[in-house]
Amino acid sequence: MTGKTILVADDESHILSVVSLKLRNAGFRVVTARNGREALEAAQHEHPDLIITDYHMPELSGIELCRALKQEPATANIPAIMLTACGYSLEPHDTENSGILCMLSKPFSPRQLLAMVNEVLHVAAA
Amino acid sequence: MRRATFILILCFILLGGGLMALSFAPATELELGPFFRFRPNRIAAMVLFLFAGFVGMAGMLSLSSACRRLTRGLSNVQNLGPLHRLPSPHPTLNPLVNAFNGVIASAEEEVAAARLRVKEIEIQLKVATAERQHAEAIIYSISDAVLVTDPFDEVVLANDSAARTFNFDLSRASRAPIHDVICDSTMISLIREMRKSDSRSGRRIVEHKVQTPSGERIYKVTLSCVAGREDTPAGVVAVLHDMTREKEVAEMKNDFVSNVSHELRTPLASIKAYAEMLIDGEASDDKTRTEFYEVIQNEANRLGRLIDNILNISRIESGLIKINKTPLSLMVLLKEAVEVILPQARQKQIEIVEQIAPAVDQTRADRDMLYESILNLLSNAVKYTPEGGTITVQTVVDESRKKIAARISDTGVGIPPKDLAFVFDKFYRAETNNRMAKGTGLGLSLVKHIIETVHHGRMFVESQVGKGSTFGFELDLVE
Repeated sequence: MTGKTILVADDESHILSVVSLKLRNAGFRVVTARNGREALEAAQHEHPDLIITDYHMPELSGIELCRALKQEPATANIPAIMLTACGYSLEPHDTENSGILCMLSKPFSPRQLLAMVNEVLHVAAA
Repeated sequence: MRRATFILILCFILLGGGLMALSFAPATELELGPFFRFRPNRIAAMVLFLFAGFVGMAGMLSLSSACRRLTRGLSNVQNLGPLHRLPSPHPTLNPLVNAFNGVIASAEEEVAAARLRVKEIEIQLKVATAERQHAEAIIYSISDAVLVTDPFDEVVLANDSAARTFNFDLSRASRAPIHDVICDSTMISLIREMRKSDSRSGRRIVEHKVQTPSGERIYKVTLSCVAGREDTPAGVVAVLHDMTREKEVAEMKNDFVSNVSHELRTPLASIKAYAEMLIDGEASDDKTRTEFYEVIQNEANRLGRLIDNILNISRIESGLIKINKTPLSLMVLLKEAVEVILPQARQKQIEIVEQIAPAVDQTRADRDMLYESILNLLSNAVKYTPEGGTITVQTVVDESRKKIAARISDTGVGIPPKDLAFVFDKFYRAETNNRMAKGTGLGLSLVKHIIETVHHGRMFVESQVGKGSTFGFELDLVE
């Protein structure tokens, strides 16, 4: 067990399940949310070490969620990885002031995602 | 001439005779009473002088009369017809009249040649007018706005489309300065710059937004200089092609590709992730592995449906789809679709209420396409209904009109009135619904195509924001 908590937010239940399972198997504690609003509340309540969020989500988009978290001192320093099915890279100004460190395009490899998670947490811990 | 010479010689002879008679000294005088004495030579001279005077006077009178007739003839010359010649009023004047008739003949030839030239010019003018009218007719018939200006920036030609675009009176535009005709300062600058550039070989193409009476529109403006005689610049032709719709379609296509790409990537992401998890042995037990296989299968089916949707719309629109209509029961089809959608509804604790009449009424339809339409409407109802909501599936038979209708009502978010008219448009997604659930904006368009284009039925929608929506269709009943 790494003891780290990761918040996973995606409105696609299958993606939410598979990512959660991969992270749990790797020893992480996983909190899930099915839309941006739920994710915001969960982040404020759980203070996760990392957020993995989808870009397109009902209620609040991934970017809006990360920007909202950045506004509050308690959640401002939580790093985030964004999953996107847009098929194109977002411009730097799109992710400005959002705390998003990495982006991963769907379809993605859970192995690659896990490596990215470890990398981000390692950097954050250093 | 001979007569004039004869009169002149006669006058001279008579005068000479008179002088000679005076020069003779007579031997005797004639006495006529106590007071009158006459010398005979003087009497003879007086008689000769008088006769000479009479002959001269008669000649003068004759000539004077001839001159008057000639003057009258000359004054009437402009009224004379072709090949008319002045008659000689007096033999004395014959050379003058002949010479004058020569001048008239020559003038007549010149007049005839001039008339010929006038006719040629008239024909050329008619041809030029016809060509101009033809060119104007072409320009007027062009849907693009056309503005032609001269070197002084005055409007030479403009068509209806230009008048509509720039909101001016076409009848008052001709020969008016461009800045008095249109208010678009950018357009005026473009025309002036082009005229000053004097670029007779090249064209300039710019994109320009114009505030028209019907709202802002985007135009592709093609400007070119017109060369006049001796290659001097004669003005500028500006052609404005309305590309608002093209831009909208291009934007729709981009959005469509982006949406389709997103929708394709989502199930593909699940398939890839679950397959990798199975390969890596992350599924610890048989139950989990079976779940993973099912996810892969369902997501593969979802991918297939999406591709089918895209292809079906494309085929229906191009008229290439194969339609297989058979008598079928709409009720049976609705029940089958409800069974399929039930797991999705249960995930959101949505109750599906069936008010479906017994399966006696038949309609004639392509089973697969109609089933696809019902499934699409049910899937939308589940998507846009919040957890704990209700979906009612209903059939309504109208025996008098020989129609059967299917109605799928939900207690979902509803559709704002401003969006209601467009929900069946391809790629259209209401903003509020866009946030509620994902979609390509293709489903309802496909359903409408299937119901109305393929089955000649009628599609309908009723909605109230916050209360829910009812989507349905009506088809013909068959005996």
